[in-house]
Amino acid sequence: MPEPVLSIRDLTVEFSTEDGVVSAVTDVNYDVFPGEILGVIGESGAGKSVSVMTMLDLIPKPPGKVLSGEAIFKGRDLLTMSKRDLRDVRGGDIAMIFQDPMTSLNPVLTVGSQIAEAVLAHNRDADDDSARDRAIELLRLVGVPNPEQRFDQYPHEFSGGMRQRGMIAMAIANEPSMLIADEPTTALDVTIQAQIVEVLRTAQRETHAATILITHDLGLIAELADRVCVMYAGRVVELSDVYTIFNSPRHPYTVGLMNSLPRVDVDQEMLQPIPGQPPSMIAPPPGCAFHPRCLHSRGRVVCRTDVPPLRTFGEGADHLSACHFAEELAEAHVVGIGAEQPA
Amino acid sequence: MLTYIIRRLLYSVVVLLVASFLIFTFVTVSGDPLSFLKMSPGVSQETIANITERKHLDDPIIVRYGYWLRDAVTDQFGTTIIGERKIMPDIQRVMGHTLQLIIAAELLAITLAISIGVYSALRQYSVFDYLATTFSFLGLATPVFWLALMLQVLFVNVYLWWDIRIFYTANLSGVDPGGGIDFVLDRAQHLALPVIVLSIANIATYSRYMRGAMLEVINSDYVRTARAKGLKERRVIMRHAFRNALIPLTTVVALNFGALIGGVVVTETVFALDGMGFYFINALNSGDPYPVMAWLMIVSTGVIVFNLLADITYGILDPRVRHD
Repeated sequence: MPEPVLSIRDLTVEFSTEDGVVSAVTDVNYDVFPGEILGVIGESGAGKSVSVMTMLDLIPKPPGKVLSGEAIFKGRDLLTMSKRDLRDVRGGDIAMIFQDPMTSLNPVLTVGSQIAEAVLAHNRDADDDSARDRAIELLRLVGVPNPEQRFDQYPHEFSGGMRQRGMIAMAIANEPSMLIADEPTTALDVTIQAQIVEVLRTAQRETHAATILITHDLGLIAELADRVCVMYAGRVVELSDVYTIFNSPRHPYTVGLMNSLPRVDVDQEMLQPIPGQPPSMIAPPPGCAFHPRCLHSRGRVVCRTDVPPLRTFGEGADHLSACHFAEELAEAHVVGIGAEQPA
Repeated sequence: MLTYIIRRLLYSVVVLLVASFLIFTFVTVSGDPLSFLKMSPGVSQETIANITERKHLDDPIIVRYGYWLRDAVTDQFGTTIIGERKIMPDIQRVMGHTLQLIIAAELLAITLAISIGVYSALRQYSVFDYLATTFSFLGLATPVFWLALMLQVLFVNVYLWWDIRIFYTANLSGVDPGGGIDFVLDRAQHLALPVIVLSIANIATYSRYMRGAMLEVINSDYVRTARAKGLKERRVIMRHAFRNALIPLTTVVALNFGALIGGVVVTETVFALDGMGFYFINALNSGDPYPVMAWLMIVSTGVIVFNLLADITYGILDPRVRHD
């Protein structure tokens, strides 16, 4: 197995709010390997974005606070790096694509100048002209028509999909070895989403960057991801390659996610949602945070008392689950697809 | 952009014409400009008849408006009713004084308010931020006339006790206007207190605007994008945050400046400054509609021009509202 580009270890981040301390992410561990796309999936507030924002120091501090953990990127810990070194990494070796292209571009600067700015920030020998040429080349690469004219236009003259292309161009400007796409298609129309997926694929092919794709869109994961990291209530609950996650999920939450998908191969009258609400992050349930909604726990005490560790369970070293009873889930009928839900 | 400005200006002329007719009517019907003369024992009926004849005071309002309009356009608003004093030179003089006062006060207010606002926002909830917040509410709550009087008392006493002249507390000049550097220093000593009084409230207002705008901007997604690009923090703040945060303040300042053209009646009265506000009060008291009309028209023009300037600057700062 190759060396991971990025290893997040035991990352715990809190936010202090007026209502109390929110444990945004707790003991998060995952690796990202060169050239792969790691999908990070989970509900809103599950800590998907916070884990990556933290390592680039993009969360507001205060209220945010890193309690423990490290983020080893190419052998160096991003969390203890000096501000200057981290600045070189941001937009250089690690680049981000944000969720909402409507608000993520500065409205008073031209799209081109914002891309050129990214080039200039990381290339000492680049001047305005070469940065402009590079920006136009990038706009062409991400499929913006007439890039020479588009360079001088403002974000409000771009459509949503074009803006997201601009964001992607900005992200790949310095050929990063790691791309982080934070819900890159969530704010877009379905048809535009499909185009942006293609652009992301192109961008990844061009840069060979290891990619973290944060989303709550299972379709996007199935389309793009090599491996999947499922998060719930600030913890990683299941981690495996994309086929395993879709075919044989071994955490009740993942199972619930898969069951909630509409299917074309079975005759379905109703979708099966996961019952209940996401937990409060200020006072999460004791034990396994998922137990109040879990169809598999069936009131077992250990679910309420012990936090299940993320572990292997005899289905190969690559498949990790944080369920006390991961083994039982191998028998599909337990909570499997099509199973009767308890009333 | 140019056609937009021309269109706005043409439109303004119409607005000014309508406004002038309304203003003229209201001012004229509000009193007899000669009532004071008529009550004075030493004034003959002949004199009054002469003035009435010369100024067409017996004609219907619409005709008098016509005469006024003619004088306004061809003769720089003409002359006063009593004494036939030319109006424009007086207004030019007081306008000059008021401009010195408000330009100095606004420059001071803008500079300080932007610095305070930006620093407060960057260090939100710091001691400085709390102090700035407290003082801006104090500044807003302090009545202008009270502050002006207190400063006068303070500096008069400094002069009386220690014989030190820091600032003058009334009037404009102790030195002949031709006196070069002496004149400038003397004028500065005279204007310092009114400028301070006038800027206090504006610093308070502007710095709150600036703080609010800056806070909103530094928490925005595009500033996060700028950081994620690896830009230096200084560049993130100056290029991506500051410029956007200036947009709301520009409008407030430009509109406020337009309103200040009319003079700052209270400040000018307390400090006995020969400015626009002072002039207007005197003109109103004299009952003569002509200087009042001239003043109103010039101030209205000022307000319109500054409104236009506000919109133009807005367009320069924010490409989304650029007018084609």
